[in-house]
Amino acid sequence: MSLAVLLVEDDRELRTMLRDALVVEGFEVFTAVSLSEGLALLGGLADRAGQRGPGIDLVLLDLGLPDGDGEALLAALRKRHSIPLIVISARDSDGEKIRLLDSGADDYLVKPFGIGELLARMRVSLRHRGTRLAPAVTRYEHGALSIDLASHAVRLAGTAVHLTPTEYKLLARLVRNAGQVVTHRQLLADVWGANYTEHTHYLRLYMGQLRAKLEADSTDPQRLLTEPGVGYRLAEASD
Amino acid sequence: VPLMGERPPLRLPPVTRLIPASLVWAVTWIAMIGLDHRVDLANLAMLLVLASAIATLWLPIGASLLCTALSVLAFNWLFVPPRHAFSVDLRQDALLLGAMLAVSWIVAAVVARQRVLAESARRHAQRAEQLRGLGEALRDADDAAQSSLVLRTVLAELLGVPPKMLLLRDTLPPDDDAAATVLIGEPTPHELTGMWHCVRQARPFGPGTGHHAELQEWYLPLRARHAAFGAVSVALDSDPPDDTLRLQAQALCDQLGTFLQRTQTQRAAHAARDHAQAQGIRNALLAAISHDYRTPLAAIMGAASSLCEQGDRLATGQRQRLAQSIVDQTMQLSRLTENTLQLARLDGSGVQLRLDWESAEEIVGTALRHARSRDSQRRVRARLEPAVPLVRCDALLLSQLLDNLVDNALKYSAAPTPVELLVRRQSGCVVFAVRDRGPGVEPAWRERIFEVYQRGEHRAHDSDGSGALARRGAGVGLAVCRAIARAHGGELKLRVRAHGGASFECWLPEAVPPSVEPDEGRPGTA
Repeated sequence: MSLAVLLVEDDRELRTMLRDALVVEGFEVFTAVSLSEGLALLGGLADRAGQRGPGIDLVLLDLGLPDGDGEALLAALRKRHSIPLIVISARDSDGEKIRLLDSGADDYLVKPFGIGELLARMRVSLRHRGTRLAPAVTRYEHGALSIDLASHAVRLAGTAVHLTPTEYKLLARLVRNAGQVVTHRQLLADVWGANYTEHTHYLRLYMGQLRAKLEADSTDPQRLLTEPGVGYRLAEASD
Repeated sequence: VPLMGERPPLRLPPVTRLIPASLVWAVTWIAMIGLDHRVDLANLAMLLVLASAIATLWLPIGASLLCTALSVLAFNWLFVPPRHAFSVDLRQDALLLGAMLAVSWIVAAVVARQRVLAESARRHAQRAEQLRGLGEALRDADDAAQSSLVLRTVLAELLGVPPKMLLLRDTLPPDDDAAATVLIGEPTPHELTGMWHCVRQARPFGPGTGHHAELQEWYLPLRARHAAFGAVSVALDSDPPDDTLRLQAQALCDQLGTFLQRTQTQRAAHAARDHAQAQGIRNALLAAISHDYRTPLAAIMGAASSLCEQGDRLATGQRQRLAQSIVDQTMQLSRLTENTLQLARLDGSGVQLRLDWESAEEIVGTALRHARSRDSQRRVRARLEPAVPLVRCDALLLSQLLDNLVDNALKYSAAPTPVELLVRRQSGCVVFAVRDRGPGVEPAWRERIFEVYQRGEHRAHDSDGSGALARRGAGVGLAVCRAIARAHGGELKLRVRAHGGASFECWLPEAVPPSVEPDEGRPGTA
């Protein structure tokens, strides 16, 4: 059975192009041109497909819709489901993009983007489907680095790496969303606590320490990637 | 602003003025009576002449003449024989008394005249000082409102009442439009009409001016060379108005008029210059856009139309190349658009940076990752000095700055030579340097290269090595880099490297990041 994607995008050219590209990849695509249509479609699909959850497997949401904020759709979606949602944004809407990530969006893409990049992000998000219910990702492999959250083991080329408790908590948080961006606020809240969400300098320090221990060249990281102004992304696991 | 006002003359009031004069006369008479029979008549007469001269210093001329005449009569009655009679020995004493009276009167007249002249000279000096003081105050005044208040204070001191004022904001409107004026002192409708009339005619009205002498006010225009820039209205009390006072007031008003004209001229010149500058920037922008955007657009158009019309006849490899060209050119257009928008944003006032504590290592890492996607030969290398502190900056903007500099360096240096991205601390700054071994920048272009849409003429090392005449400078690219550096309180500098090539350096002031609580407890992994 093919996976269903809800594409909310008001630009006709981009919508048609993305739909065609996704159909070629074997997705079933529903399109909406506005927030209200997206919300209606989301509700309708959810009702229709009572037999298998919400009826769609992934949402692509453009910001800057003609009739309102993408936040409304995310809020409506998150009330009942943990379906992955990827934000498609122009560079101008940085603030809204980060707000959406903080309130539960899975990832974001800045326009213009290549279709390959979009498919990669969708793949990662779909793999993480259900992480909110049970931590699906407990093992992470990337080149010489292997992490096993179940046994608290971090190994680089077979040798155990010594991490402080905070470094380990931070790394584990990134592993649980490997391949996806995790915002500064989310990391700070989950690792240090809700009072620390503005203390980004903590993140800089501990990410620097992690890079020093886990990267061959910490100025040219291959695993612990920075998303400037947004957060961090652990490179997708290499299988 | 201290101003020389018109002070009342330094004379005693009339009653008190009588006291020293009476005292002089009293002392003289006591002396004369005391000296009677001891000295002869001529000596006594001299005392009287002396007293008359001294008393004249305080008395007005009429009173002085009268006093002297009465004194001479009394002198005659008391001392001149036959005593206690007004009859005079014509041969002996008539001459004495006559001479006494004449000399005293002449002295009184001369002293009084002198006093009037001194008074007038003092008033002239005071008014000249007032004009000079106003001129000086106007030089320090910032705008029309402030300068007019200065004039109002000066006129109030001169005339005893603060005048009502009407100032034009700009040029004279066709009808009496209150919105085109600034009104000071709440003029009545009658006064307002008078002031409008005065401004339009650019000449004074009221008593003594030869126009509308029946008015109870003076209307004085604030005149400059060709027109009036406002008017004042001064209420007059019942006294017959003093013409010199009006002329002085008019001179002061004209000084303000000249000042207002000067500020208006300056305003017009500023506006014209700003307009010309904006026009120039817009023209440069349009020229650059037409150049920078047309090139990739032409490539995209060519590749896309070829795919569209000849797609079925092209080999798979050819189709792939055309598609790749569209992707590459689109990325370039996207970066160009991003830079142009960023520049417009930073040029606008009140730009909000999203400042945070950022790690130089991460910013460099991001720039390197971006460069790798465009630089197939992996020429970009990075090196960080150890212990570079966190930088207070907008990470997205700083990434954009480094992306631009790296792009630029790759574009203008030949293929095998490396492009280096270095971070160091120097003189209280964190310095991000992007260095190449390209042809460098001509001295004449080292500053202009940062201006919007300036490009240096240079032989670029194209990837095919043809070295065709190309232009150094990324147009909007370097301009946006400098704008970003400056928005952070830093600077973008170009340094010429000793053995060829350029080093573009972004200097950001160091700040002290907040402290971090140390990590406690046992290690997380064995």
